Amino acid sequence: MSERSESPRWGHKILRFFLKGDYLEEIEGDLEEVYYDNVETLGTKKAKKIYVWDIVKLLRPRLLKNLNWISKLDSIMMFTNNVKIALRVFKRDKAYTIINLLGLSTGLAIGLLIIQYVRFETSFEDFNPNADRVARITMDYMNGSTVVDQDCETYPPLSPLIVERINEAAYYTRAYSTGIETLQAGEKMFRESRIFGADSSFFEMMGYPLIHGDQNTIFRAPFEIVLTESMAYKYYNQVDVIGEMIKFHDQEEGMIFKIVGVVKDSPANTHLKFDFLISYASMKAAYDRDENTWNRNNTFAYILLQKPDDISRFQQSLINLNLDLTEEKKIKDEQVVAQLISEIHLYSDKSYEPEKNGDAQSVFFLLGVALLVILIALVNYINLSTSKSLDRAKEVGIRKVMGSSLLALRTQFFTESFMINLFSVILAFTFMFFGLDAFRNIAALPPSFSFIGDTQFWLFLGIVFVVSVFFAGVFPAFVLSSFTPAAVLKGKFGNSSMGSFMRKGLVVFQFAITCFLLVQTLTASEQIDFMRSLDKGFDKEQSIVVRAPQTAKKVALNNFKNKLTQYAEFTYASSTSCVPGLPSSELSTTTGIELSESTKDEHFNFYLYFMDEAFIPAIGFELLAGDNFLPNSLNEKQVIVNEQSIALWGIPTAEEAVGQTLDFWGERFTIKGVIKNFHQASAKSEHVAMVMLYNDGWGDYIVVKTNGGNISKHIDLIKENYEQVFVNSPFDYFFLDERYDQNFRSEEQFKQVFGLLTGFAILIACLGLYGLSSFTIAKRVKEIGIRKVLGASVIQLIMLLSKDFMKLIGYSLIIALPVSYLIIDKWLDNYAIKIDLSIWLFALPAAIMLLLAFLTVYIKTYSVAQANPSGSLRDE
Amino acid sequence: MLSQDAYGVEIKRELEDRLKDRLSVGSIQSALKRMEDKGLLTSEFGEASNKRGGKRKRIYTATPHAHQVLGEIKDIRADLWSSIQLVGQTFKTI
Repeated sequence: MSERSESPRWGHKILRFFLKGDYLEEIEGDLEEVYYDNVETLGTKKAKKIYVWDIVKLLRPRLLKNLNWISKLDSIMMFTNNVKIALRVFKRDKAYTIINLLGLSTGLAIGLLIIQYVRFETSFEDFNPNADRVARITMDYMNGSTVVDQDCETYPPLSPLIVERINEAAYYTRAYSTGIETLQAGEKMFRESRIFGADSSFFEMMGYPLIHGDQNTIFRAPFEIVLTESMAYKYYNQVDVIGEMIKFHDQEEGMIFKIVGVVKDSPANTHLKFDFLISYASMKAAYDRDENTWNRNNTFAYILLQKPDDISRFQQSLINLNLDLTEEKKIKDEQVVAQLISEIHLYSDKSYEPEKNGDAQSVFFLLGVALLVILIALVNYINLSTSKSLDRAKEVGIRKVMGSSLLALRTQFFTESFMINLFSVILAFTFMFFGLDAFRNIAALPPSFSFIGDTQFWLFLGIVFVVSVFFAGVFPAFVLSSFTPAAVLKGKFGNSSMGSFMRKGLVVFQFAITCFLLVQTLTASEQIDFMRSLDKGFDKEQSIVVRAPQTAKKVALNNFKNKLTQYAEFTYASSTSCVPGLPSSELSTTTGIELSESTKDEHFNFYLYFMDEAFIPAIGFELLAGDNFLPNSLNEKQVIVNEQSIALWGIPTAEEAVGQTLDFWGERFTIKGVIKNFHQASAKSEHVAMVMLYNDGWGDYIVVKTNGGNISKHIDLIKENYEQVFVNSPFDYFFLDERYDQNFRSEEQFKQVFGLLTGFAILIACLGLYGLSSFTIAKRVKEIGIRKVLGASVIQLIMLLSKDFMKLIGYSLIIALPVSYLIIDKWLDNYAIKIDLSIWLFALPAAIMLLLAFLTVYIKTYSVAQANPSGSLRDE
Repeated sequence: MLSQDAYGVEIKRELEDRLKDRLSVGSIQSALKRMEDKGLLTSEFGEASNKRGGKRKRIYTATPHAHQVLGEIKDIRADLWSSIQLVGQTFKTI
């Protein structure tokens, strides 16, 4: 052979690891020689095969290294003995084992599911290596020194100015939403809403390295676009689409953008999700958005700090900057503030957030409750194993007499705790996998977020496991191993008062927690139902909302509306800038709308609606005073306002407001009518001040009010007309009531997850109570027999036996109810409009607890109380 | 049979030829080590070669004790063999 083929290297490694050092050289040499002989005669492939087999066959006791661990066999044998005893204990008392296993594993499964939710909620922006040094700057609107509103969007020139003037700021990037666009590539045309104009620094700062394209050369010129992988697939069925052209339809002529890069999709755990980024220069070139304006704040802005711990110094510098900017007349009654992007999802709830954020409070609340459920399950184990102590006292006595040390006894009990926890973990994972999909659904967890690679998840499991083994083992280990053998073996043994006191305490603790959970669940569900049933101030039923193309001209829009109202099925068709149910970020805002005669200098934030005359009747706003707009342009310089606005201006009644004049945008407007307050997003938030202006030639949405009947027929009809009027524009619609209900999704989620937790907590606690009562009652069978012989009735016996347990439940209620009251009172403070705390919120859970506890104990007491006493008295 | 080159692979080769069967390195080596422990063999390192990846051979030599034991085994076998023939004849006569 001209070329020597090497024998596999890993073979040597195995040999070196296993073989005795003295033999290594010789045997390695032999193997090599045989190998090369075989290569020559049989070929490399065959030789390798023989080589591998030879190695396997070499693993013989005589040739292997000394097996040092054999000397440790004693402790291993002791351990296997412990395991064997543990398994026997489990086997002997199946009810005990099953109760423990079910309790611990369901508790753990619940804990594991919740921790996944918590991990997801706390993992926002983790994918971005710069997450700890990128700050978002936002605007606070001030009235004097109080903050009246917080706005996530800033003025376009602000972030460049900050980098120029503040030392801690290294780079900036902006993300300027273009609104909804219709995009076309070849035959494919879709409506897209997650499009932002971004600076070239965006990719580096926000953690989106380009898969295709060169980060250093792109986004210098207008009409460049970068899209995500899945968008590339959607439009082109491939990822490498550099150089392709994509058309934006909604501007007059349509605009062509050149694709210069492809990035990964925005992950589910980022606050700013996008599908397309266009070069920031396009905002001026294509959308005519002024780069230097200090009048319109519509762009998200992010600053990369020099060092991760610069944030507090940066915030200090902003205070000075605010003074300078006010002096330079760039901002007025505003201040610039900063927050780290990693804190946005859980701690930020401002206007114009790119998406609805999570809430740290409810996330950690759920985590706490999940831990409580695990704790309840642990208490079960502790209680059951200590109450079984009588059964095992003799065993402990014998062991001690035979010379077992205290340590060995404790090891025994810890082994049992370890074993049962181990089985529980296995069972918990089984439960978890069955429940995972359903849970992801309830908790709105993206399936892409997996716990398998998440070290913190495993860390949590590890900690819970160790803590659980320790706590479940420590009480039995110390209580049971402390018996004095002489006393126990003579039969002088009673339940220690200490042990029974602890057990009772734990039961009280368990049921107090369960009771609290029940009260909280009930309150949450009442509160949510209450908010849903509240007068929203508008009519959400039977309205279909169609998205209007952005380029729609007045003529086309009116043409479409007129066509629809000719059908008997549609009562109104109205164009509007927004509809209730959409986030208030879809509304424009303006500050400084003042009564003409006002001398006060106040700066409240007003939300603006632009609508035609059909909107108010279609949506069902209630006019308190004044009139609706008239169907023509005579409405100019007239506005309709809501109750909240006149309250801000200090006008006492709606009637007085009509006819008054307002000054803003350098013009004077007359108040034509006053409508009742309505909830824009949901009843969670307070009413905001609204001002409605007339515009019948422009609107993002067309509300079609139907008079019932076949919905799909209605939609077909609307679609048909839409396609006739707006050629080349995709038809897109939603139902007003569905959209409004979506605003309660996070509450519904919270309610469901919480309900689930409570259900399992009750189940586990009752399981424990059942186990405990069966053991206690088993000890009193003789007593019951005697009582029965002496004439006690079944009911008397049941009362006698349940009394002790019911007392414990009573104590737990006494503890739980006041505590629940305090916590719930605080929880309800989160809501602007909340239910009154009624006695039922506490009485019902208390009654449920008592009933459940009684039923649990009853199952056992009944069978014992009605058994024939001769059975229990005969055997001795 | 072999005197000069009695090392692992050579012994293996010799046995394979005689037995007409494949043997693994492990079986040879463990047998050699066992025999050495019993004092039937002595061994010393021989020369290394490129073919062996630079590893030295270990040359095995039978001890006088081994010759003695082999002789005993041969005698016992011969004895057994003759008794088998004996048994065969006895069967025939029954």
